[in-house]
Amino acid sequence: MKFGIFTWDEIMNKFMNTFFVILQRDLIIAFRNRYELVNPLMFFIMVIVLFPLAIGSDNALLTQLMAGIIWVTALLASTLSLETIFRSDFEDGSIEQLTLANYPLTLLVSAKILAHWLVTGVPLIVVALFVGYFLSLSSATLFALFITLLLGTPILSLIGSIAVALSIGLRGGMLLSLLILPLYMPVLIFSMLAVNNATVGLSIEAETYFLAGLLILAMTLSPIATAASLRIRLS
Amino acid sequence: MTKIEVKQLESIRRDNILFQDINFQLTEGELLQIDGVNGSGKSTMLRICAGLTQASEGEVYWNEQNINECRYQYQQVMTYIGHANGVKDALTTKENINIIHALSGHEEKIDHNRVLEQIGLPGMENVLLGKMSAGQKRRIGLTRLIINSSKLWLLDEPFTSLDVIGKSIIEKLIVDHCQNDGMVIFATHQEMEIEGHEVRHIHLGRNNE
Repeated sequence: MKFGIFTWDEIMNKFMNTFFVILQRDLIIAFRNRYELVNPLMFFIMVIVLFPLAIGSDNALLTQLMAGIIWVTALLASTLSLETIFRSDFEDGSIEQLTLANYPLTLLVSAKILAHWLVTGVPLIVVALFVGYFLSLSSATLFALFITLLLGTPILSLIGSIAVALSIGLRGGMLLSLLILPLYMPVLIFSMLAVNNATVGLSIEAETYFLAGLLILAMTLSPIATAASLRIRLS
Repeated sequence: MTKIEVKQLESIRRDNILFQDINFQLTEGELLQIDGVNGSGKSTMLRICAGLTQASEGEVYWNEQNINECRYQYQQVMTYIGHANGVKDALTTKENINIIHALSGHEEKIDHNRVLEQIGLPGMENVLLGKMSAGQKRRIGLTRLIINSSKLWLLDEPFTSLDVIGKSIIEKLIVDHCQNDGMVIFATHQEMEIEGHEVRHIHLGRNNE
């Protein structure tokens, strides 16, 4: 198959190279500004630690609530860091240059979302598992927590990027939360169903498949929507 | 003969008419300066020409084709440099140049030293941009002109924060580009003459045009 002067393979090669250039760029930048990444994690840990203090040391109650608390806090912590996907690019004009680059904006945006998930989602999963372990969640619950966070946090980044692209540069962080929190609900519902099932020893297959389905849907559509939102925002 | 053509362009911002009924044509080897006071719509005009912003009325054509219908082809022959430099403070000059090069879609390897020498910053490849001055960052942003090697340049205030040497380097780039059948549209509010090539003018502002 030929497209213009390039074959399909050549195009895919160029696209993959550019994808990795942008991914690498965002990872390097994130690494050099790593103090920014620690904030959501500290928020996450602090909030989790506050709950036992507020609720009291009733062990049975805590074990019942903790998985849910971890998920909700993870969700809030990831909203905190969402803006970093595009903020600096918007401020220094890089986003205009990405828009005008010789590659589809959808491709470049996907790389940026993946980078964002790698630097915010992955640390969050690791910390959440540690916290869960220290709060003596059962291993089945921990496993369900791990699987749901692994499938869920990328969905959060993907959905969030659409809203960030639309609202970037506008004052008012509340707008962003209002836009995305309703969209996060399905993820939270299925994740909590899975975690609760695991706690009572039931299978979590159905919920896992559903989350995986949501992830695929978000992966396919969100970069396109994000790219379109960015173009609207820039004009 | 490649050309960019602007037909009956009008832009309205917050119920104010910025400019109205702007028409011009630019062919190979021509240099166009958009001038006007602050807020007269120079940047908006360039953004519309770059396809970043939509005009309220009128269209921009590249080789008789509306740029909104051939966006991808148009972006391959056009370089736009706005107010912001579009470079990352957290990266070194070399890394920034690599990214500009990657986004330009060119295959061949890039010679960082050559690019930096051309822009007047030799030997600075491993310096973080965050540690550089505004003028130096501007120069790195302007390396796009060398790296992208596009036909059409749209430059918004290209000379801001540049010193005399920087200015003359960019002026020379612009003149050379035009003499090699390139096309340049640039906006500036400063009175300035580019030597060595004929400059056409478009004036934006209330009492003119």
